[in-house]
Amino acid sequence: MLGEMPLHRSVKGMRKGKPVPTVTIDGCKVEVEKGETILDAAKKAGVWIPTLCYHPAVSSDASCRICMVELDRGDWRQLVTACNYPVRRDIVVYVSSEGAQQARRGVMELLLARAPESQELKALAERMGVKETHYPKVTESQRNCILCGLCVQVCEEIIGQAAIGFAGRGVDRVVAAPFRQPSEDCIGCGACAAICPVGTIKVRIHEDEQEVEISPFKSRAKLLICEECGAPIISMQVSEQALGKVEVNCEEFRERVRLCPKCRRSQTAARLKAAKFCKKE
Amino acid sequence: MTVPDTGQLSSPADLQCVREELLSQRVPSAKSVHVCTGPGCAAKGSPKLYELFCEAVKQAEANVEVQAKAVGCHGLCEYGPIVLVQPGDIFYQRVEEPDVAEIFRETVLGNRVVERLLYENPATGQKAETVDKIPFYKVQKRIALAYNGLIDPTKITDYIALGGYSALAKVLSSMTPEEVISEVEVAGLRGRGGGGFPTARKWRSCREAEGSPKYVICNGDEGDPGAFMDRAIMEGNPHSIIEGMLIGAYAIGSSDGYIYVRNEYPLSVERLKLAIEQAKELGLLGENILGSSFSFDIRINRGGGAFVCGESTALMASLEGRPGEPRAKYIHTVESGLWEKPTNLNNVETWANVPAIINRGGEWFARIGTKKSKGTKVFSLVGKVVNTGLVEVPMGITLRRIVEEIGGGIAGGKHFKAVQTGGPSGGCIPEEHLDARVDFDELTKLGSMMGSGGMIVMDEDTCMVRVAKYFTNFLKEESCGKCTPCREGLAQMLYILDRITDGEGQVGDVERLEELAELLEGTALCALGKTAANPTMSTIRYFRDEYDAHIKEKRCPAKECRGLFRYEIDPEACTACGICLKNCPADAITGEKKVPHKINQEKCTLCGICWEKCPFTAVLKV
Repeated sequence: MLGEMPLHRSVKGMRKGKPVPTVTIDGCKVEVEKGETILDAAKKAGVWIPTLCYHPAVSSDASCRICMVELDRGDWRQLVTACNYPVRRDIVVYVSSEGAQQARRGVMELLLARAPESQELKALAERMGVKETHYPKVTESQRNCILCGLCVQVCEEIIGQAAIGFAGRGVDRVVAAPFRQPSEDCIGCGACAAICPVGTIKVRIHEDEQEVEISPFKSRAKLLICEECGAPIISMQVSEQALGKVEVNCEEFRERVRLCPKCRRSQTAARLKAAKFCKKE
Repeated sequence: MTVPDTGQLSSPADLQCVREELLSQRVPSAKSVHVCTGPGCAAKGSPKLYELFCEAVKQAEANVEVQAKAVGCHGLCEYGPIVLVQPGDIFYQRVEEPDVAEIFRETVLGNRVVERLLYENPATGQKAETVDKIPFYKVQKRIALAYNGLIDPTKITDYIALGGYSALAKVLSSMTPEEVISEVEVAGLRGRGGGGFPTARKWRSCREAEGSPKYVICNGDEGDPGAFMDRAIMEGNPHSIIEGMLIGAYAIGSSDGYIYVRNEYPLSVERLKLAIEQAKELGLLGENILGSSFSFDIRINRGGGAFVCGESTALMASLEGRPGEPRAKYIHTVESGLWEKPTNLNNVETWANVPAIINRGGEWFARIGTKKSKGTKVFSLVGKVVNTGLVEVPMGITLRRIVEEIGGGIAGGKHFKAVQTGGPSGGCIPEEHLDARVDFDELTKLGSMMGSGGMIVMDEDTCMVRVAKYFTNFLKEESCGKCTPCREGLAQMLYILDRITDGEGQVGDVERLEELAELLEGTALCALGKTAANPTMSTIRYFRDEYDAHIKEKRCPAKECRGLFRYEIDPEACTACGICLKNCPADAITGEKKVPHKINQEKCTLCGICWEKCPFTAVLKV
């Protein structure tokens, strides 16, 4: 038998001699590594599943429940979250079935009722075929926040600051810094704002005070100001942290970091120009 | 009784010696007075009674062999404080401080029964002298609660004398882990915390799971409103839980155990702590237990007051020191639980059943109950029944027998309406299904569930929409808020239920509730959310007419929702005494002497004071 089946050749359903699970998504078959999720499989199959609290950079919490799909259990179908369901054996999944769509739309309607002003959420809803919500706004804990937790995760897992976390429980749950006060741990990097899927977190620049504010957490950090033109560049702490992570031998680099990109470019241009001129002489 | 000075027990034979010595110290003619100090009796002052009995024992003549014992919950809380005199099983109810001297003089010293303190059957007027003659106890079968009321929970010697830790000795000396699991499998034991998952299967999966160390957890985070089953075991017989955990740990291959108890049960924490200390002193916990190669230790963790921490993954998160929020269970906790290690979690009652199964055999256990639900189940029977309290019944008993025979029917001559089982995520079962058998699958079929064993009986004066609202509000408050459907969906459901009970319900509200319920069941993250709609769905299923009356007729049939009924005075019954008139804060009642009074509906604020105050029940809710 072994002679007939060379181990080094990739055979369907096998990789390096190990069985590879197959996921059948809406009839389309894809192979995934063991432990990959249904969402990974769907991406391979080219099937779109809406996500909100999922981001490849951070661990999956499956709290928003917008990525519900139906898993075939033989005589019944189970709704599972695609973003964190690990594929361990061959499975059959339905993304566009009536049951799966109805579940996702229901969750979206609840979210729309909570965050009616978010344009990003409206756009996603439209893509899912949800025109409006028939639920009233009954939870008020944090304006336009869907409590997906991506900001909390990115701050802890990627930035390593854990300046924000969840406070309160149930409908009173909010994302906040400790005691709902501005946090000293916030370095003003804005990663939370960048990852927020509904555009609720904003980075505000206060030029007069030379500070950056992360809204709605009210945390502020000092800004590094361009030595040339006085334009704000980046939060001082972020710059320091970044410099701490790279090994720099060139003193010029440290100086140039204190310039805004625009001034840096014009300074470089000026130097090059001068150098050219010198050479000619 | 004192512990024979053997130090640590180093073999099963040592344990047997201790037991024999304890038994030989007993004087057959000795009397003992068992004072219930369970939560119900303690609230009515039983600890003081115990002190008085101790005092009486001290002052008794030297030739009288008598002892007083503070024991765990007896069950018949409605009639507390309860005092039992042994031998003879003489049962005294509603004992008060002045009765102590009489009981001591008459029964303990004089072997005479104090007639007036005996239980009297309200239906027949017959007095019951002993426990087995009381209808409340007759139908019950006690396994998990078997020693409750017999032993002093603060003394390990009491437990050992009755055969405690013999199951552990049997397991360590003559059974392989696989044999232990097989025995539990034969017993057909299913998780008593609510899910009803086969215990043996869980143990086996955990045993076979890769990774070490493995953890064993006892879930004592009992949070259902009105439930106190686990509390009674933790406070009445803590060693049975420890012994069960020891056996489970041996079967699974674990040496680390945790008991997670809610902090609102300070006495449970205290009793368990003491029990663990005592077991350690005797070498029943720690290294090389009873001379074997098996080592096991237990630590206690106190919960912070969140209902959701009764959910296994939230409990484990809380144990790890993180916020008590559930996670997806696509990878089971038996594979990756506490600190991502294989973890086996069982409820207090499940653990307490294990020693009996090992001692008496799985087949004995499997003979009790129904085809798929074996053994007994403890319920806290509360609400509008005559005999409220803690009951343990064989699986398969009908709800009717629990309500009517054990519970003694509905209090105050009212009519039965529904029984709510399974805690806040359970459902309401109406009269037409009272003959349904109590087992995991039957209750689920009826839209309710076994849950951890809360049983709330409701009478005709209970508005079912309000019941749904109460539980929905409870769950909304206790939702951790992590997932969208539970956090937002429950708030939306409550919004609609509020509207209905305020008389502002709209046509289509029931359908909207059903839609939300379906969404919750399908998409919520944990069992709390998935079952949160059960109270609403079961009341819609069985009491749809009440919803319709609220919505379409703006009328509350049970006359509980303010504004959806009015007060009127029955001119036939009114004696014109003027009490209602004097008490009405809105001056809405008019009348003179000898002329039946009247309520001015325009002025009436529906406060209900007239209804409460009228001595002739002439004020009616219509």
